[in-house]
Amino acid sequence: MTTEAPVQSHTPTASPARPGPARGRQLLLLAAIAVALVAVPLVLSEYWVFLCAQVLVYGVATQGLNILYGRTGQLSLAHATFLGGGAYTTYVVITHGYSPAVALAAVWAVSLVAGLVVAVPTLRLSGLRLALVTLAFGELFQWVIVHTTGTTGGTQGTPVDSIVAGTIDTAKPLWAYVLALCFAVPATVLALQLARTQLGRGMLAVRESELAAASAGVAIAKTKIIAFVAAALFAGTAGWLYAFTSGFLAPTDFDLFASVYLLVAVVLGGSGSVLGSWLGAAYIVLVPQLFNLLGYPTLYSLVGGAVLIVVALLVPNGLAGLLSQAVKRLTSTRGRP
Amino acid sequence: MTARSVDLAISYQDLGQITVGGIATGAVYALLLLGVLLVFRVSRNINFGFGQVGMVGAFGGWYLYSSHGFPVVVGLMLATLVAVALSAVVELAVRHIPDDRAGLDLVVTLGVFLLLTSVAQNLVDSNTHTFQPLLTDRRTVVGGVYINGNDIGVVVLALMSIGGFYWLLARTHLGVSLRAAAESPAIAASTGINVGLLRTGTWAAAGLVAAVVAMITASRLSVDAFYMTPVLVKVFIAGMIGGLDRFFAPLAAAFLLGLYEAWVTYFAGAAAATPAVFLLIIAVLALMPKRWAEERREVRA
Amino acid sequence: MTSPSVPASGTSALPELRVASLTVQYGAFVALQDITVSFPRGEIVGLIGPNGAGKTTLLNAVSGFSGGVSGEVHLGDRDITRVPVRDRVMAGVVRGFQTVRLLDQEDVFTNVALGTERLAQPTFVEQWLGLPRQRSARRRDHAATWEVLALLGLTADAHRPVDELPFASRRLVEVGRVLVTRPCVVLLDEPAAGLDTEGRLALEEVLRSVHRTAPSTMVLVEHDVALVARLCSSAIALDSGRLVCTGTPQDVLANAQVQRAYFGRTAHA
Repeated sequence: MTTEAPVQSHTPTASPARPGPARGRQLLLLAAIAVALVAVPLVLSEYWVFLCAQVLVYGVATQGLNILYGRTGQLSLAHATFLGGGAYTTYVVITHGYSPAVALAAVWAVSLVAGLVVAVPTLRLSGLRLALVTLAFGELFQWVIVHTTGTTGGTQGTPVDSIVAGTIDTAKPLWAYVLALCFAVPATVLALQLARTQLGRGMLAVRESELAAASAGVAIAKTKIIAFVAAALFAGTAGWLYAFTSGFLAPTDFDLFASVYLLVAVVLGGSGSVLGSWLGAAYIVLVPQLFNLLGYPTLYSLVGGAVLIVVALLVPNGLAGLLSQAVKRLTSTRGRP
Repeated sequence: MTARSVDLAISYQDLGQITVGGIATGAVYALLLLGVLLVFRVSRNINFGFGQVGMVGAFGGWYLYSSHGFPVVVGLMLATLVAVALSAVVELAVRHIPDDRAGLDLVVTLGVFLLLTSVAQNLVDSNTHTFQPLLTDRRTVVGGVYINGNDIGVVVLALMSIGGFYWLLARTHLGVSLRAAAESPAIAASTGINVGLLRTGTWAAAGLVAAVVAMITASRLSVDAFYMTPVLVKVFIAGMIGGLDRFFAPLAAAFLLGLYEAWVTYFAGAAAATPAVFLLIIAVLALMPKRWAEERREVRA
Repeated sequence: MTSPSVPASGTSALPELRVASLTVQYGAFVALQDITVSFPRGEIVGLIGPNGAGKTTLLNAVSGFSGGVSGEVHLGDRDITRVPVRDRVMAGVVRGFQTVRLLDQEDVFTNVALGTERLAQPTFVEQWLGLPRQRSARRRDHAATWEVLALLGLTADAHRPVDELPFASRRLVEVGRVLVTRPCVVLLDEPAAGLDTEGRLALEEVLRSVHRTAPSTMVLVEHDVALVARLCSSAIALDSGRLVCTGTPQDVLANAQVQRAYFGRTAHA
């Protein structure tokens, strides 16, 4: 093994950038995605547009969980709780006569606090203990909703008015889609940018080896807190979107099972992958509809558990991993005999 | 008796009543915790679907005897066998998790939790049903306090099981093998211990424990596809408080948790029980120093 | 080049690492007993002793990874005995581990770049929004990483996942993470363990050239006495938690107690 400097000289300013052709491929992919996003409301029926809007809403949430679990390795069973916190905060603010914009600001404030409150007890915990504490917070949230029927509608749930302004009505599929897209794009950009930062790398270190992280100078506690708060903010925003696009809130939409399904989405899509979390969101929204259409409505929940087991054990990088393997194989066979 | 001492007598009775209830609930928790401790001791894994494995035994048994005309005992035994087999199968899956992917056992067993719940929902239904009374209808009165046969039975069963398992784990070769299999499977295997069989067997035994506890719980409450989840969560809580690496401490925590729940319910109402328990675990885990490592001990001396 | 390293110029700016009356005790077990020693500034110091002598414990105590510590650890004129790990890292005390600790799901580049965490970094908001300070910090970090990768001969492997690499390369990756910011105190725990002859020579060469180009105090826990003799200009010997002797490697290895502990009663060539 040689320790001489290699003959090729790497320009010191170059990040580990991909060579030319891959950059072109990236732009092409971006263009294709943009076209597809614009085409959805133009080409698909209202039913499917609305489903796509839901995918966008849940996708914002799964991006958040991906940061917390996929990237930082903190298994949270309270993600649907953050979602519900955002949704119910929106409802409460709206019923007091404030605008949706004020509701959003309130959601961000509440999510910030919620993220901190859940993060702090979990700083020295991992594995089951961490999951249990998050579960405990989830159950507490359920209890609060159920026991505050006056403010939140309790177990029966409550309808929520959509945002209406002129012809815009976010209960309508087209506007739900547009509104959700307005948040889905920045959320994705933020998630992608995180992967290029020292913070993002520190989160990976916290997940893989806290020892390596500590010895490199990563501020572990601060990183975990940021991850939790980010997850809460993403999910809370998704909750705000959910409130205005779905028209009805019920505590069962945000219970333990909902949190587990969000986890399924992240794991199935590929823990740590931004694309993966979008695939996962598409799965948990579209696949149940698919089973409905095929006439097997109850099959979805059966498959959900099986999917989690199989993917966790056999396909650790999820759908996104499979996709990238396939792409790699397709593009590398071109250069070989 | 004067009016005042009648008052005192009534409140002592009440306290006695809830204490009996609390101890019985604690015994249920302790029994299920025994299964959790067994599994943890032999493979250092957590099975989040453990409660559902038990549910299969109880709910499945109910389904067999009430919808398919099986004799009660036969139905329950068959379903218990299924639960035992399921537990062994889960172990086979969890065994293949590589060491460096810690925490994956939680994810996989969460999948088991989902799967078993939906199987039960789809195969049977989503409703709640009454189970066999299992001595809950036989009562005696001691000092004005009602104690039913189920309460006595579960406390006796718990104490006997604790004693039995303690003897098994601390005083027999089997117990040592269990721990060796967990800490260094390779070394254990080289001394002739069939690590795989030991693990599968232990998980199977744990499945039996889960099924029995599920039946007891069903007799005390009711049975459906979801009812064991809160029980399991509280059992994990007791385990975390006492320490999954130990034996008597977590079991004592289980009994105390049952008492705590009962007393909170009496003094603050049934609605207060949930937040009381969950606030307790948040407080305990947040404030407790990290005494033991669930993960591999990292920095060696 | 087989001569021991010569302290690079600029050594006088290095803070001196020393411990005074350092005792590390876990319950009834005493891992280190009353150690008072200073690590010669700017040299490569070999820390030797049989298994269980307390070498790793000493590294742990110095780097902040140990509990049960009484006594003092000083870096320059700063008492770092109670200082948390992160602050020690920021002050320039960086360590490697006996069992290589890498981010297995990531590539070589990311693993080595992790070491740049201790440099002055922009706030997380600046990072996340991609502001100019972030861009320049990233350029600086990447430049340092490529430089160290070149030194280690890992440039070609930069984008390979570390779990695909042979053991020797994984070792080097961790060494790279430790060295990427040229900290003033480098603590390596048996870096040559598990390496074949070729690997050891390569490692030696890497450490020597890094030490030549940037002054630092390198402390190497090592069992390979030949490597210690070749590479280190100083040595410290421990046995059963106690300090045996210090000095040049030749003197230390010739010490009777060291001979007994390492080689049994008969002296080896």
